[in-house]
Amino acid sequence: MQNKLMKVAFLSTLLSMTSLSMAFAFNESPMLKALVDAGKLPPVDQRLPKKPAVIPVYGEIGTYGGTLRRAYSGIGDRMGSTKLVEERAIKLQQSLDGKVDLVNRFVESWSANADSTEFTFSLLDGMKWSDGQPVTTDDVKFWYEDIFLNSELSPAPPGFLFSGGKPFKLDVVDKRTFKVKFEQPYALFPYVLAVQSTGWPGLDKPSFIQPAHYLKKFLPKYTKPEELDAIVKAKGVANWRGLWDLKGPIQAWWLNPDLPVVTAYKVVTPPPASTIVFERNPYYWATDKAGNQLPYIDRIEGKLFQDHQALNLMVVQGQIDFQSRFLEARDYPLLKENEKAGNYTVHPWKSGENLAMFVNIESKDPVKAKLFNDVRFREALSVAIDREAINETVFSGLATPRSASPAKGSPYYDADFEKKWTGFDINRANALLDQLGLKKGADGFRTGPDGKRLSLVLETVEPNFPPEMAELVRQGWQQAGIEGLVRTVDENANLSHLKNSEFDVSMGYADRLLMPQADPTLLLGRESYANGYFEWFNSDGKSPSGVEPPADHPIRKLFAAWKGASSAKTIDEANKKMNELIGVMKDNVWMIGLVGESVTPFVVSNKIGNFPDVMTNEEALRNEGNAIPAQLYFKK
Amino acid sequence: MISYILNRIAWAVPMLFLVSVASFAVIQLPPGDFASAMVAEMRTQGDVVPEGTEERIRHEYGLDRPIYEQYVSWMGKIVLHGDFGTSLGFNQPVSNLIWDRLFLTVSISLASLILTWVIAIPIGVYAAARQYSFLDYFFTIFGFIGRGFPEFLSALILMWFAYSWFGMNVGGLFSPEMQNAPWSLAKVIDLANHLWIPLLVLASSGAAGLIRIVRANMLDELNKPYVETALSQGLTEWSVIWRYPVRVALNPFISTIGWALPALISGDVITSVVLNLPTTGPLLLKALQSQDMYLSGAFILILGAFTIIGTIVSDILLAISDPRIRYR
Repeated sequence: MQNKLMKVAFLSTLLSMTSLSMAFAFNESPMLKALVDAGKLPPVDQRLPKKPAVIPVYGEIGTYGGTLRRAYSGIGDRMGSTKLVEERAIKLQQSLDGKVDLVNRFVESWSANADSTEFTFSLLDGMKWSDGQPVTTDDVKFWYEDIFLNSELSPAPPGFLFSGGKPFKLDVVDKRTFKVKFEQPYALFPYVLAVQSTGWPGLDKPSFIQPAHYLKKFLPKYTKPEELDAIVKAKGVANWRGLWDLKGPIQAWWLNPDLPVVTAYKVVTPPPASTIVFERNPYYWATDKAGNQLPYIDRIEGKLFQDHQALNLMVVQGQIDFQSRFLEARDYPLLKENEKAGNYTVHPWKSGENLAMFVNIESKDPVKAKLFNDVRFREALSVAIDREAINETVFSGLATPRSASPAKGSPYYDADFEKKWTGFDINRANALLDQLGLKKGADGFRTGPDGKRLSLVLETVEPNFPPEMAELVRQGWQQAGIEGLVRTVDENANLSHLKNSEFDVSMGYADRLLMPQADPTLLLGRESYANGYFEWFNSDGKSPSGVEPPADHPIRKLFAAWKGASSAKTIDEANKKMNELIGVMKDNVWMIGLVGESVTPFVVSNKIGNFPDVMTNEEALRNEGNAIPAQLYFKK
Repeated sequence: MISYILNRIAWAVPMLFLVSVASFAVIQLPPGDFASAMVAEMRTQGDVVPEGTEERIRHEYGLDRPIYEQYVSWMGKIVLHGDFGTSLGFNQPVSNLIWDRLFLTVSISLASLILTWVIAIPIGVYAAARQYSFLDYFFTIFGFIGRGFPEFLSALILMWFAYSWFGMNVGGLFSPEMQNAPWSLAKVIDLANHLWIPLLVLASSGAAGLIRIVRANMLDELNKPYVETALSQGLTEWSVIWRYPVRVALNPFISTIGWALPALISGDVITSVVLNLPTTGPLLLKALQSQDMYLSGAFILILGAFTIIGTIVSDILLAISDPRIRYR
């Protein structure tokens, strides 16, 4: 597998070389051509790298121009725009047959040494920031020293860039090449890089690089305090740190039109305008296979909406060209009915997410803790649920009843696990609960070992989960003699309950199950079924909020498997350990899956070409970004 | 009269102080704070939130300081510099966010207020003067439906009709192509084309209630001796009605003008959300949901100030129109 990976990396490099050695002159958008003719921009072959990255098109070679119209929900909706454009050194890309591969983006090549402790990356030769400045290893060094290792900017640097408790070491070889060295083997690093990139601070987090020539002046290290104070004042933030990060008026790409970027689009009118506007980056470093500089479409606009129904109305009126974010499976019929009127097509993308229930195995109530840790009790909770009814009521029948298991297309997909305990079987549930000695009283409810009626609070989150779903779960449980008390809380309260293990059963998303090797924290219990145990494991027992699991607790096997996977020398070994991890999940089912693989309606204007009809809507594939917006075009 | 006005204004100062304390306290009531709300939001956005982020945010924004300290520094800036602080959610000065939207909010609300009166007063007067006539029943039914029907629902229905019957671009105050354009005659016309739905929705529900009030007040007045006297002098029915009982019947409106002012700002929040209006209501709602305390605090403070000012204004108007109050 390791070898195969390197071959893929090598092949894609080779492909880009051969295809472009045949390339004649590069082409560019008429919009940029006009600027070149006016002398305001250098010609296209000086803007592109010597060997630009080649992005495959899903259909045919496109034509330039047009404005892609979308909707956005306000200043909090940063990922809606960001996921469309984010760039990475390496990215995951799904092909039309559903398979997911690692592909090179702004690196020409990368390689790993034999025991996966050292990774070498080579940036595209002649690649430039959106202001025309070259992207070099100086930008890598700046990111590493002044951002990643800067404890003021990164007080909690991401654990996935550490190994053996130490941050990786950077070794700059020349202007284009650098090495990333880990203390211990880390075969999964390329996947982590593709999904999580190099972490915070920042919004689009391009791997390893940050525009040093621009950002330096916003650090106290390089700028006099009075100059920095003036900037802070002008931007209206509290202190210099406020300039940075997700919401930083300097560092967040969609807030700062002046920030040099490497993305296909840069912001022109930032939020909170009622229409935000993005324009093509004249220095974008990728072309199609015919040598046309991408993207094809000149502009992207996002119109502000506040209410869900208002968004639906915008869609049916044909005001939206490209949107799946905020559209829901239950709106599918409405969207489909109005296809003609709005001149669009609804494409049925598959969601990679599962709706699930987390069972609190760290419950502070000793009676419940004992039950929640009994695998028979969890099975009873699961088989007492009529998932078909949930599917019909909430998802217009467009989802699939399934457990919280790896998604189809994942390297760890297990068809048997997918169906485990998902059938509706009240007799089985009753038999299991009888076995546990929970007696049913005259009122139909069971009594716990403490002599009290067995009742569980089922927490659900407004507005993420439709209340009908919790109601259907409650009805199923009631047939099995368990009283379910549905409690609706807001996200904020729910998160705090999950973190402090102060709940019985909570609705939740079991997501990131397509590429769990890149981010398995949910599987390991983080902010789900066992946050305390996870914290204990993650901090090597040091975190004060961590809780040590009992010595014979099966979750220890889960942690051991992840430890093995994360320090594996080869991909094969890592995959073996990951399969072990999934096996422990399958044996225990701490997250009870309800439905998944729901249809995500993707509304795309009929004027748009190169849209891949059915793909997976998943976090790791960057949701809407999985359609590669840079290769979409308006048909003439 | 002047001492009466001064007296009223002097009372307003401690009231404003109390309002500011209360608004700051109310914002703190829901569980969690901006830091936990932001982390929860990041999670739903699909960000992998590193450990310790919540504590870091809390510290950065000074949310870990005691509440009275936060209050004093907040109030201090407002009183000394007119600085309402930085919105946590937008990372922008609060004043940038509020005043932009205030102009549209006030114009929409004023227009709908005037429309409400234009619709309601003549109908209410007519319904009273022709009690139990066909039109009285008709408007009574309309009034009850209007009161009982939630505004956001009528907004949704109107939007759907506007779209499916007239093929209009509904939602928002401008067509997509006018959204970011500078102000011009064409943009004003575009605004007028979009404005009628929100105006109609806001005015019709308000009017429905007002019709009932006007009708009831008028019925009280119509049977009084001065009306009969005026009629017996030979004046026509309608000139009597418009000159005397209507003026008396409108008295209660004067005393409630004070409430109209804050309603202008908070607008009908849900209706504005549904109609996609760029007014202050939806912003306030969002600020409260994300526990953006400085933004919502500023809003509530401004609302409180408007209520107090509005009450003073109506007190003064009442004093002018009713001598009994003046000399008490």
